[in-house]
Amino acid sequence: MNNVIECNNLTHYYGRKLVYENLNFHVSEGSILGLLGKNGTGKTTTINILNGFLQPRNGECLIFGENTQHLSPQTKARIGFLIEGHIQYSFMNIRQIEKFYSGFYPNWKPAPFWELMSKLNVTPTQKISTMSCGQRSQVALGLILAQDPDLLILDDFSMGLDPGYRRLFIDYLREYAKAENKTIFTTSHIIQDMERLIDDMLILDFNGVLAQTSVNEFMGSFKRFDFVLENDKADLKKASFVVNLDKVKNKIELYTYSSESIVKKYLDDNNITVSNFAQVKMGLEDAFIGLTGKY
Amino acid sequence: MEKISRFLLVFIAILTLAIILPKLYWMAFEKPVRKPFILYSCINDDFMIHRISEKTWEDTKGNQFTREEYEKKLPLMFEKQLITSGSWPDSIIGMALDMRTISKAKSFFRLKASEIDAPFPELYPLFESQSGRTKIDLPDDFFRITWRIDFIEAATNKVLEEKSQLFSAALYQNGFSFPAKKISGLATPRKSIDEGYLIIDSKDQLFHLKMIKGFPYVKEIDVPDGLKFRHISCVDFKNKDFYAYLFSDKNEIYILTQDDYKLIKWPVDGFDASNCDLKIFGDLFNYTVIIEAEDHIKAIALSPDYQVVNTYTENWKLKEDQTEGKIFASLFPAQLSMTSDNSKFIRFYFTPSKGLNWIFLNLLLMAFHFIWLYRRKVKFKNHVPDLGIVAVSGIFGFIAIHFFQNKFFG
Amino acid sequence: MWKSVVYKEWLKIRWFLIGYTLLGILGIGYLFLTVKHGFAFSGGKNIWNSVLFMGHQFFSPLKYVPLVGGLTIAIAQYFPETVNKRIKLTFHLPMGENKILLMMHTFGAVSLLLSFLIFFGLFAVFSLIFFPVQMVTDSVISIFPWFLAGFSAYFLVALIVLEPAWKFRLFYSLVGGFFLTIYFTSAVTSAYGSANTGLFLVTAFLSIALLFSAHRFRKGEM
Repeated sequence: MNNVIECNNLTHYYGRKLVYENLNFHVSEGSILGLLGKNGTGKTTTINILNGFLQPRNGECLIFGENTQHLSPQTKARIGFLIEGHIQYSFMNIRQIEKFYSGFYPNWKPAPFWELMSKLNVTPTQKISTMSCGQRSQVALGLILAQDPDLLILDDFSMGLDPGYRRLFIDYLREYAKAENKTIFTTSHIIQDMERLIDDMLILDFNGVLAQTSVNEFMGSFKRFDFVLENDKADLKKASFVVNLDKVKNKIELYTYSSESIVKKYLDDNNITVSNFAQVKMGLEDAFIGLTGKY
Repeated sequence: MEKISRFLLVFIAILTLAIILPKLYWMAFEKPVRKPFILYSCINDDFMIHRISEKTWEDTKGNQFTREEYEKKLPLMFEKQLITSGSWPDSIIGMALDMRTISKAKSFFRLKASEIDAPFPELYPLFESQSGRTKIDLPDDFFRITWRIDFIEAATNKVLEEKSQLFSAALYQNGFSFPAKKISGLATPRKSIDEGYLIIDSKDQLFHLKMIKGFPYVKEIDVPDGLKFRHISCVDFKNKDFYAYLFSDKNEIYILTQDDYKLIKWPVDGFDASNCDLKIFGDLFNYTVIIEAEDHIKAIALSPDYQVVNTYTENWKLKEDQTEGKIFASLFPAQLSMTSDNSKFIRFYFTPSKGLNWIFLNLLLMAFHFIWLYRRKVKFKNHVPDLGIVAVSGIFGFIAIHFFQNKFFG
Repeated sequence: MWKSVVYKEWLKIRWFLIGYTLLGILGIGYLFLTVKHGFAFSGGKNIWNSVLFMGHQFFSPLKYVPLVGGLTIAIAQYFPETVNKRIKLTFHLPMGENKILLMMHTFGAVSLLLSFLIFFGLFAVFSLIFFPVQMVTDSVISIFPWFLAGFSAYFLVALIVLEPAWKFRLFYSLVGGFFLTIYFTSAVTSAYGSANTGLFLVTAFLSIALLFSAHRFRKGEM
């Protein structure tokens, strides 16, 4: 499969502070990839580099084979971009904004835009600045859909949206992407949302990639075991399979890619007695926190 | 394109800083030059020097006087003061004089370089010279001299055809070559008498134009070959000895005598109309010509028949040669100004600093910039033009390239 | 595509441009009303005399009118682009970044030019009613740098507003503010005659200044 996005050896600093070094990832055609990471791990930096609003200290990102620092107009026409907070020209109304954008894209398809707009309780002459956050998100989404790009880059699409609009946004988007074989690169603060949307995920941690895998694969292999230690001085951190460990007095939450039997064998081998041993089912958000830690 | 826009911005910043920084510097540190006030004493046959800020009165030999003594040495200047204080002499250099005679011979003239290098109007009022009335009235129309002379009525902004034709014909018949190069006169009704205008035509011929009882009076004035006037100042002195002071392009001073139109050259040198201010005091016994340049003052006393009887020169340090000026010249490579003391025109007046002391600061700033670049581990090659800018323009360029940084180029 | 660019810029500045132009026209009307009043009460010859020989500059109320226009149009046009870094939307449009910026800028500058041409034309026409062409020419030489200052202000505000870092906005404002003073040196009528060509050139130099701060924005300066 072709890579729509390919980032090689990205290194960036703000002043002297390192954001990440030699970051590599790619997004293949037709996939929906979520970029996850805690605040400060470089999500926005990555989005900015992808959109050509930031020149990395080293390395490069390619979209459709072109360096994102110098995207040709033809390539830019193939990329739909949703700015964090659904920013649009709020001094326009929806009729004006549709007219404005239609002039730039030869493949402009007004139907999906007006279809979305018809679901909103707005008048065609109402300025976008007077709309609610949720309505604005639909305008921004509608414009991207009308542009009919091959790649959609969505920066924190859930920001400021209530659950209903979030659901609407996600469902509409996923259905559209799957039907038209679009590629999506997205970030969001709310990981529950991502679960419904993304196929693949890229998890950033401070200084690098923690995981790049499909969501199914990750959820299938990443596990959480809860148990109670008889002796709360027992030390599990040395165990190689431990990805993360949360310990409150003698209650343990253990995150690992390894199977239950390996964990149990380790406990036996090290004469650690535990009670109430159980695997806990996780959602993507739990798994994300399990992987990256709470802090 | 972005790169060009940056260089243009750096250029604009250098231009702005080269105007602002020197201006601020001089505002903070310039010391006023206290020029002496010089008059010629017919009693001592010497110049009397009054230093206003020091409150001293002296002659050129250094003899000090009190204010009263000083005034007594200059009776024709301070006649009112002397009469008031009861010290008016019975005779002056052997002559008993009355007030009227003294006052009639007295004249004062002043001309600044900036009055010569200045924009001049192209329309003038032609007064009636023999109206038979004591008060001069501002006429209803103004004239201009282009391909002919036009009189335009102010209230209607319309050309007065008949008058224009009449005066054009008079000028033409007297050999005037249109248009006029320079029109000089006292364009004000506040004068004792109207003597019209002295006009230089396109062939540098000099004409006198007046209006007498509504009719033109035109007189071509004999001008020696090769003599061209840079400026003419008409005067309205009580003695009516001459119409005007005339300044040639070779910085000679002439007068044009009244009625017989004789051009007389004064034996005065050291005047440069482009940068000197001029004062001329006239009285019964002398004309005193004071030439004030940037770094000296020259006084020349002339006899009534315009012969030099005495001269005096006093020099002082140019502001460039004073300590503040030397510090200036080691900070700034040059100064740019939109205005000049010697002109009323707005221009980009560029004055390079005296000497090359500013090179040291330029080198120092280049070194600073070099270290700054080194610490940022940037590619040195991309910053060669910036270093060149600092080398040439010094502190101006240094600030400019740091305000408009070369961060993302190359 | 240029139609869309013009459309958006027009939506941003239209009311400001129309309002400013109308106010300017009213201002010029008022200016010549005072001249007419002067002619009626003081007499034409005395007005001429004071303009020619007493340094009266009847056009001086116009001094900051073009500057205000440049500032107004630039703020109306570029401020909405920087709120929430909306300029990103512009850069993302399928055109060269400099090309689209210059299109926007040209539109703003041409709008300003049209407004100024109206003022200039009205000024010339009204002046010629009251004054001969020589006096009008001298006045035009005097007001010309003020109109150049209007353009400079427009170009400089674009530069400053698009600059991403506050520190540098301050630096640019300092330089720009001092730079603008060179158009406003108080002087006798038509004294700018020998400086206008130079001023025209440096004003033209500023016309692409915004590309510099836009470039810094795109390279991620913060």
